[in-house]
Amino acid sequence: MKIFQIALGILAAIGGFVDIGDLVFNVSAGATFGYELLWVVVVGVVGIIVYSEMCGRVAAISQKAVFDAVRERVGFSAGLTTLIAAQIVNLMTLAAEVGGLAICLRLLSGLPYRWLIVVAIVVIGLVVWTVSFDWIERIFGYGGLCLLVFAVAAVKLHPDWGAVAHGFVPHINTNDPVLYLYFAVGLLGAAMTPYEVYFYSSGAIEEGWKAKDLSINRANAMIGYGLGGILSFTLMITGGALFLAEGIEPETLGTIAMGAQVPLGTAGLILALVGILFAVGGASIDTLFAGAYNLAQFMGWEWGRYRSNAGAPRFTLTWLVLLVLALGIVMTGVDPVMLTEYAVIFSVVALPLTYLPILLVANDKAYMGTHANGRLANILGIAYFVLILAVSLSAIPLMILTNVGQA
Amino acid sequence: MRWATLLLLIALLVPACNGGTVDQHALDNDSGAIDSLACEGALLAHQVVDGATTEPFTRVHAGELATRASNFEDALSQRPTTPGIESAVRKEAEKAGRVADLLHQLEANDPDSAGELKGRLEQEGDCA
Repeated sequence: MKIFQIALGILAAIGGFVDIGDLVFNVSAGATFGYELLWVVVVGVVGIIVYSEMCGRVAAISQKAVFDAVRERVGFSAGLTTLIAAQIVNLMTLAAEVGGLAICLRLLSGLPYRWLIVVAIVVIGLVVWTVSFDWIERIFGYGGLCLLVFAVAAVKLHPDWGAVAHGFVPHINTNDPVLYLYFAVGLLGAAMTPYEVYFYSSGAIEEGWKAKDLSINRANAMIGYGLGGILSFTLMITGGALFLAEGIEPETLGTIAMGAQVPLGTAGLILALVGILFAVGGASIDTLFAGAYNLAQFMGWEWGRYRSNAGAPRFTLTWLVLLVLALGIVMTGVDPVMLTEYAVIFSVVALPLTYLPILLVANDKAYMGTHANGRLANILGIAYFVLILAVSLSAIPLMILTNVGQA
Repeated sequence: MRWATLLLLIALLVPACNGGTVDQHALDNDSGAIDSLACEGALLAHQVVDGATTEPFTRVHAGELATRASNFEDALSQRPTTPGIESAVRKEAEKAGRVADLLHQLEANDPDSAGELKGRLEQEGDCA
């Protein structure tokens, strides 16, 4: 039964790994630099595994989610700054995901975009209001598995496997190093986006994890995110094998879906669109919850889907307000793909504020007892924190220098 | 905190400054983007010929690509240019207009006309 539970969690994690940021940055990176940035995806996936495992362990042992730890460990002022930064990035990401969901529905149905934005918002609201946390994870995680069509597409496109293998060796492109670094920062940001750890740690408490569930935590983080990273590889390989060769700069979700359509025909197209639909739909719900979790945990309110909507009224009101704000942003006509790029780059700036408290609490024996970080977790945690700090300082200058990746 | 706010404003405003004078660098970038739209249209036309698409997808996606090409046509036909490149900029605007027109025709998802559209889009985009 436990193995079954782990397998279900892993499947959901694979399907739920990819969001609109991963789709945009992986395919664009492939279309611009071929397979040269595959190694950055590996770095990002290991980073999210390290910190998700840490915050899942903190949640299971101390029953505290990330923003509980933020408030307790970094003080009110720094905590408030973290909260504001996190909420701005979350709202941008939520709006981008909702816009992506509406675009996907439009590509499938041909119906008007603005109507579909409203449909997307209503569906997300109804799902969050009525469906249990476990089933939300399963429905969107398993639906997102349709994205595995990109793995088949990548093979069918017959990439140069030698060049693919070389892409896993860390190196810098000397022809256009600034643009290369911009994509590297974007890929790291997309893989380690803060809402994932907010959602992961709060989800651990929603599911009632205790010390006995630490093996599930490790399996979910390592195998789920690890295999989810394979989806990112296949998206980048598709971008390199198809769009780079054809001279196409992917700037729409329709273009990304063509990555499966060209080698696999109509079935590939429909599977890709359905996969993207569930991936961005699931990510919309994750970001919506993350925003509500953050505020409720920081303010010390009742929170969680395991309570009824009326049992955590301020938490419920928060996600309803966030949904309405996202609706307002997308209705302005802003391009969700462009919004995604801004959201990912700004999320990179906020990364150190998210990850430092996790590292501090995971090391604190008063909280964690014998489950505090061991040597390996600390070496990796500190190394990644230094990397995150460097990346966060360079994100906005790189965005300006490359005109948001257009240079 | 003030520096952070200033940096944020610069980050938001600099990439948004897309309506100024067209220089050679901007022309090269826009020309590449127009070629990309044409080549993507050609690839989509190929799927229409092969029956490897759906009607809503072709209509919506070709329409989206056409809108983007039209935006380039509008911008490049109106914006001031640096000396010596005005004629090249206006020619690029005309090309963007032709690409937009072909992409609008592709929205019909007609396999009979898609073959010809594919050839013309490939020619416009100088596709591989």
